[in-house]
Amino acid sequence: MTDPTATSDAAAARVEPFLIGAIARFTRQPVEAIAPDSVLVDLGLQSIDAVLLSGEVEDHFGIELDPSTVFEHDTLDSFAREIARRLDAA
Amino acid sequence: MSQWYLGLSTSGHDPALALVDAEGTVRFAEATERFLQDKRAWGVTPDHAPHLGAALDEAGFDRDRDTLRVGTSWASVKGAMGRPPHDALLSGADTLWMQAVQTQMQAAAGLSLLRLGLAREPVEPLRFDHHLCHAVTAAWFAPCDDAVCVVLDGEGEVGAVSAFDMRARRLTRRWRSWGPGSLGTFYGWLTGLCGFDWRAGEEWKVMGLAAFGQVDPELAARMDGMIAVDRGRLRFADEDMLRTADALCRPFGRDPAEPVERAADLAATGQAVYSAFADRVIGSCMADGAATDLLLAGGCALNSSYNGTLPGRHGIERLHVPPCPADDGNAIGAALLAYMHETGTDAVPRGDGSPFLGHMARTRTLDKMRASAKGFVIRETGGMGGAARAVAGCLAEGRILGVMRGRAEFGPRALGHRSILADPQQTGMKDRINAEVKGREAYRPFAPALRLADTATWFGRSVPSPYMSLTLPWLSDRPAPVAATVHADGTGRLQTVEPHTAPWMSTLLGALEQATGVPVVLNTSFNIMGKPIVHSVEDAAGMLMTSGLDAILVEDTLIEKPLAAS
Repeated sequence: MTDPTATSDAAAARVEPFLIGAIARFTRQPVEAIAPDSVLVDLGLQSIDAVLLSGEVEDHFGIELDPSTVFEHDTLDSFAREIARRLDAA
Repeated sequence: MSQWYLGLSTSGHDPALALVDAEGTVRFAEATERFLQDKRAWGVTPDHAPHLGAALDEAGFDRDRDTLRVGTSWASVKGAMGRPPHDALLSGADTLWMQAVQTQMQAAAGLSLLRLGLAREPVEPLRFDHHLCHAVTAAWFAPCDDAVCVVLDGEGEVGAVSAFDMRARRLTRRWRSWGPGSLGTFYGWLTGLCGFDWRAGEEWKVMGLAAFGQVDPELAARMDGMIAVDRGRLRFADEDMLRTADALCRPFGRDPAEPVERAADLAATGQAVYSAFADRVIGSCMADGAATDLLLAGGCALNSSYNGTLPGRHGIERLHVPPCPADDGNAIGAALLAYMHETGTDAVPRGDGSPFLGHMARTRTLDKMRASAKGFVIRETGGMGGAARAVAGCLAEGRILGVMRGRAEFGPRALGHRSILADPQQTGMKDRINAEVKGREAYRPFAPALRLADTATWFGRSVPSPYMSLTLPWLSDRPAPVAATVHADGTGRLQTVEPHTAPWMSTLLGALEQATGVPVVLNTSFNIMGKPIVHSVEDAAGMLMTSGLDAILVEDTLIEKPLAAS
């Protein structure tokens, strides 16, 4: 039987580089400046950027997010895990 | 004991309710504005108790035995998102107000069941995605099983555009746009700039005015920079750029006190830019050739001028716009989704195409009228054929008639059941109806209704438009001038009529052809400007008394003004 945590970790690892790339683009900083434990607000991610990022996540991963999802997560890693959870459920 | 489903349009504007029965059939649908006679009924709950009570009775709901499950046309509550309004184009105060009324509607939805004795404690409605409601409504009316569905709206749960695929009547979302970027907002801004009021739903006036203007290429280029279209998704330019474009366009606009002609070029340019944006969205959705049928929904699907350009382009062989593509229509989608949710059905039921889903006239009032309306000539025409001959005879004499016959249409267009009719060949008819009956601006056009079988003779092609959803150019060498239904640019927003779906209008057109030789009738909604379409017999009689109408037909009873009858 598969360990659900492991699946989620693997999926989160797939999601993180995408999020880092997108956030680097929105906030105009190098990807090296962004880490999984970065706090989204501290990275300078504006609320409009967070909304547009949600759209990119939906398009890229083919899942559905709620409008409020991104705002319920402080760190990039936490958001990535939520996306991974939805990917696993899909 | 039977399970029913109540769909509620909870946007805060254009509230409406719809009832679906246990078999998944739409049995009733009506906008709140009709019942209240308050245009757009802003901020009124769609399950307004007296209206819902009347609707349940009309639909045959048994209050002692049947049960009701409620669905709303929004999943989210706008006021709870805490996002600052996007106010570069429309007033931020208006947006905050709209968010507030949507929040109220979402909170109050279904509470009327307590008042009507249908629930003992507050019910929790099912909540459905706003654009999915639009898509399901469009699918109910569409006579096909496979299609692409594009929702072009003012707003949405996360953005203002969604694309769906329909396969064997199962809808799946392809994508939705996120963030600010809305053709509805763009057109609302344009409406304001032209000196009209989008809150009153005056986008029509821009569309009509566009025919009198010329597209200004420089102005068009400025407007074109306001929205980026990326694979069909819309995104507004940043606020500074929007404010700059607004400032550049403003000198072409008009103050509401100025003559309308002043904004004609702006209207023409805005309509052209709107069409270019919409083309990019729809072109992107149709590009893979997955379907040849397009369902178009959302408030922007009321843009009949643009809609008329679609058949034959982007691989679209058939365009299907429901009679109620704006937010009122979502009541049907919400009711059907509640039915589908509760019964585990994933295919959208298919209707018979009838838009006649509202109230019947209460003919008891006619008995009172016969006793009280002294001086008026009231006569029975003896059934549909007799009524059609009587109406056709009046029209041929140049008279203007209000018709209230059968169930009311659902959606903004009058399709012959709550219509003002006239002979489009009569000299000066457009000006007469605008000035003496409807109180509208002189430039505003009127629409023709004709049999689908005759469409090629008058328009050069046979394109179904049963709900008056698209505008086409008339043939220049058409059999008769029908001038009152020909717009300044040579087009007409036609209603095509078939006997099995619109028997009354079909019979009337036959009678009119006998009387005048021309099977084309001018058909405009039975209301004065700024008021909803008439709902009660009293509304219709009041309009006869206070306007230049010559007579009204209520069911098969003709009521004529004394002078007109002599």
